[in-house]
Amino acid sequence: MKTRTADVIIVGGGAAGTYTALCLKKAGIEPLILAKGLIGKSGASIFAGNLNLHGHVFGGNDAEAAAMRDYIVRWYNHYLIDQDYVLKGEQWTEEVYYPELEEAGLYFRRDDQGKIVTSYGLARCAAVNQQGQSGILLMDLRRKQVIQNGIQTLQETAVTSLVQNSRGEVIGVVALHCPSGEVFSVQAKRGVVIATGPADRLASRATGTREQSGDGLALTYRAGGELLNLEIQWWHASDFKWPPCWQRMHVYPNPLVGTAKTARMYNSDGEQFFDQSTDTPNSFAPYPTQLKRLAEQVAKGKAELNGKYFTGYDHIEPEALRKYARQLKAFEKVGLQAKTARVETATTWHYRQGGINTNPHTMETNVPGLYVAGPVGGHNNGSLGYTAFDAYTCAETIKNKPAPAGFSTLPQAVLEAERDRVMRLLRKMPANGTPPIAVKTKIREIMYEKMGFVKSKQGMESALDDMRRIREEDAPRMGLKNVSLNENLGWQDALDVYNLLDTCELTIRSALNRKESRGPFYRTDFPDTDNENWLVKNILFKGGDGSFQFRTEPYRLPYYQPDFKRQKYLEVLW
Amino acid sequence: MATLTQQLDRASARYLGQVEMHDSNEDRLNRLKEGDFITARICRLDPSIDKAPYFETYRVPYVKWMRVLDVLIHISEGLCVEYAHRWYCGVKKCGTCAVRVNGRETLSCWEPAQPDMVIEPLRHLPVVRDLIVDREPYERKVMELGPLLMRTQPYPGLPEYITDREMRAASYAMDCINCMACYSACPVLDLGTETNFSGPAPLVQLAQVALDPRDGLDRLSLIEHTASISECVSCYRCEEVCPAEIPIVSRVIEPLKALAFAISPANKKHQAAFLEIVRDRGRIDPSALVLKTQGLRALLSPVRALRLWMKGKISPSKTFLGWTIPGVEQVRRLFSAVKGA
Repeated sequence: MKTRTADVIIVGGGAAGTYTALCLKKAGIEPLILAKGLIGKSGASIFAGNLNLHGHVFGGNDAEAAAMRDYIVRWYNHYLIDQDYVLKGEQWTEEVYYPELEEAGLYFRRDDQGKIVTSYGLARCAAVNQQGQSGILLMDLRRKQVIQNGIQTLQETAVTSLVQNSRGEVIGVVALHCPSGEVFSVQAKRGVVIATGPADRLASRATGTREQSGDGLALTYRAGGELLNLEIQWWHASDFKWPPCWQRMHVYPNPLVGTAKTARMYNSDGEQFFDQSTDTPNSFAPYPTQLKRLAEQVAKGKAELNGKYFTGYDHIEPEALRKYARQLKAFEKVGLQAKTARVETATTWHYRQGGINTNPHTMETNVPGLYVAGPVGGHNNGSLGYTAFDAYTCAETIKNKPAPAGFSTLPQAVLEAERDRVMRLLRKMPANGTPPIAVKTKIREIMYEKMGFVKSKQGMESALDDMRRIREEDAPRMGLKNVSLNENLGWQDALDVYNLLDTCELTIRSALNRKESRGPFYRTDFPDTDNENWLVKNILFKGGDGSFQFRTEPYRLPYYQPDFKRQKYLEVLW
Repeated sequence: MATLTQQLDRASARYLGQVEMHDSNEDRLNRLKEGDFITARICRLDPSIDKAPYFETYRVPYVKWMRVLDVLIHISEGLCVEYAHRWYCGVKKCGTCAVRVNGRETLSCWEPAQPDMVIEPLRHLPVVRDLIVDREPYERKVMELGPLLMRTQPYPGLPEYITDREMRAASYAMDCINCMACYSACPVLDLGTETNFSGPAPLVQLAQVALDPRDGLDRLSLIEHTASISECVSCYRCEEVCPAEIPIVSRVIEPLKALAFAISPANKKHQAAFLEIVRDRGRIDPSALVLKTQGLRALLSPVRALRLWMKGKISPSKTFLGWTIPGVEQVRRLFSAVKGA
C-alpha cells in the first residue's frame, strides 16, 4: 500500500477544511486536504444564500450585534453552546474574517450609493453579489486560493479509517481514491482534522449533498472519540416537494434581504398556519417554529411531514419580489408565477447542531492528534463565519504544539486489515446479492419515516431494530456487477453503508437518551423543553467493552439564560 | 403564456432560439404528465473495460415536474444500474451535473425531463466513466488566467467604498457555477490542439476579476495570448446553453475584447477586418476575412479551402471580384450612423 505524508491531514474540503489548510500553510505547515467530493462543489458550504453579519461589522450597532448573538445562542443552538465561544467568534469575524474576504475580492452587495444592502431586522445578513449565491462565490474563492497557495488536495477521495498508535493517538489515515480505485495510507506528523460538515444525508429527503453518509462522525466514534447532541437535528420545513431532486430547494421563510417580507405557509385546506412576521418576528431563521406549527397541522390531519402543505410569496407585492428574483426562478422553471403560486413543500433533514465533542476554544477532541474544524463539531450549528473561526483556532492550536521530530510509522497490521476490509467490498454480486445503493436507500427511507421531525420512543426503537437487521442481513449480501477500479461509485456506496449504519445508530441512541424536546428535536413521549435537567451535553462514547456509554455535562450560562425552567415544547418560541 | 413579442422582449439568443423551435421552458413542461413513461437512452463507457461507448435504454415513469437528474437518479438509485453520473446539490448551485440531452448541453437538475432523451457526457473533456468527465483541463485553464483579484491600490479596509453600478459588469460573470456547459458547446474547441482558445467558461471566471474595478492587473496578455480571445467567433452557442443565463458574449467576451483593445488597439485586427468587410460588401465574406487576418498563411491550407469551396462556404472568384449585396448603401449608412463603427 502506497504511503504519503503530510504535516496535517484535513478530512473535508468545504469552508472549514479549506480555511484550516490556508491558515496552516501560512504558518509554514503542510496540509493535505482529502475531500470525498469536489472542493467548492460538494457539501453544505455552497448553499449559503447570505452571510450572517456578526458584531458591528459593516456599521452595525450594539442592538444589532446583540440580536445576532441572541440568534446564535437561543434560536440556532437552543442554549447548547459555549457562550464565551460565541463572543470570541464574533470578535474574530469582525476583525479578521470579513475584511479578509473583502480584500480577497468577495463583493458584499452594495446599492448605487455604495451602502451595503442588508436584511431587514436587527439580526443582519448580507449577500455576496446576489442573495442565493454567497456560498457558491465564497467556496469558489477558497478553491482558487487553495490552488494558488500550492496546497495539496486529493478530491473524490474518501477516508476509510483513522489510524492510531498504541497510545490511541491519531497518526494517519487510510483512504480510497475513487477515480483510480487506489487504497492508500497517509502519515500525519502533526494531526488529523475532521472537517466534514453539519449535513449528513441520513434521510431520503435531506439537504446533504449526494456523497454524504455521516463519515466524519463514524470515523471519530470508531477511534474512541466522543459525540454529543446528535439528536438535535434541524429540518427545513419549506423545501419543494417536487421534483424529487429539488428536496433541497428551499422556499426561504426569512426576511428577504432589503425587505420586511417573508414566506407564508398553508395547510391542505389552504388555511395559513405560519407567517414569520407575526409568529416569530425576532427569529432570523425560524425553522423550529415552522416545524412546530407544522406538527400541529399534522396532528389535525391537515398536513403531512412529507407534503400536503404549501408555501408561497403570493401575498408579497411584485416590487419586493423582484429583489428576490433569483430565488424565484425555481417557481418559473416549473411554470409557476411566484406572485400567485403556493408550492407544495415537505420537511427535509438539514443541519445537525450536535456532532463531535470538541473543545470550542482549541478544537481538540478527547482523542490525541484528532482535531475538529467547523460544524461537524457539536459545539455549534452550521455557520460560515464561525466555521472559519474554528478553522483559524484549529490551525493555531496545531501551530502552537511542538512538532514531533519525525513521522510515526503506521502499524502495518492495521493498514493491512483496513485494506482487506475495503477491498472485500469490491466484489461481484452474490446469488442472493443486493446493490449497495439499495441498502443506502433503505436506510435513508427508514430514517425519514421513523426519525422524522415528530419522533416517539416506539418509532426510534423500531428504527434501531431496522438498522440492526440491515447490518446483519442486507449489508453482508452487497455486491456489484462491475468491479472495475475506475471511478466505482458502487464500491464507494458499499463503504458508505457502514458509516451510514453507524451514524444512524448513534443518532437514534442519542435521541433515545435525551428525555426532553428542544429546538428542532421533538419526541412526543417527552413533549416539554426541560431546562432544569436537560440543558446539558448529551455525550455518547464507546465503552471499553465496545458498548454504548452516555454521560452529561451542563452548559455554563454566563450571559444568556432561558426565561423558563420547563415549558411545553410546542409553546417555546425557539 | 407570453406572446412572441413579449418573449422577444426578453431578447436573449437562447430564448429566441428555443421559442422558434417550440422548445422553450413552457413547451417542455407541457410534454409529459403523470402516468407517462420516459425513454432514456444513456451513453455508457468504462474506459478500463470497454473499447468504445455504447448505449442502454431505460423506461422511466414520469413524476411531477421531473428533471433530467431525476431520470438519471431513477436509473442509478431506483433501478440500481451502476451508472456513474455526477451530482451533489440537485438545485443549480454546484454545477456538476451538466450533460448533453439530445445533443444539447443541459444542467440536469434544472431542465425538465423530455419524453425521449439521448443522454451523453459533455464534450471537449476526457470521459472518466459514463457521464463523469475529468474537470481538470478546464480547472487548469481557469487558473492559468489568474482568477483571483489583484489589487494594485492598497485595500482601504472594511467596508471599502464601491457602488453596485461599478460592480455591475463583473456581477454578470459572478452568476457562473462552473458547470462547463458552455465549454462543451463551444464549436471553436472542436479544433482541439489546433486552437489556443480557452473556451468561454474560463473567460467568465476571468471576467469576474478583469471587469472588477478593484482589479489593477494589466491582463492584456492573459486575454489575448493565454486565452486567445480573438478566436471566439461570437456564435452565441455558449449563451444558448448557460443555465445561469449569463450573456456570455455580450457581457463577458465583448467587454474583455474591448478591454484588450483599449490597452492595445493592434489586437483588434480580426474585429476591424470583420467590420470593414461588412461595411464594404454588406455582409461577411469568410475568405476575405481569412486573407485579411492571416494573410498569406491562409494559403497554406489548400485542402481546407477546397473543402469549404465544395460546401459553398467560400467563393474565391466572388471575393476577388469585390462583390457586394444589393442594398449595400443602406448598410454603409448604418455604419456612418453608429458612433465608433
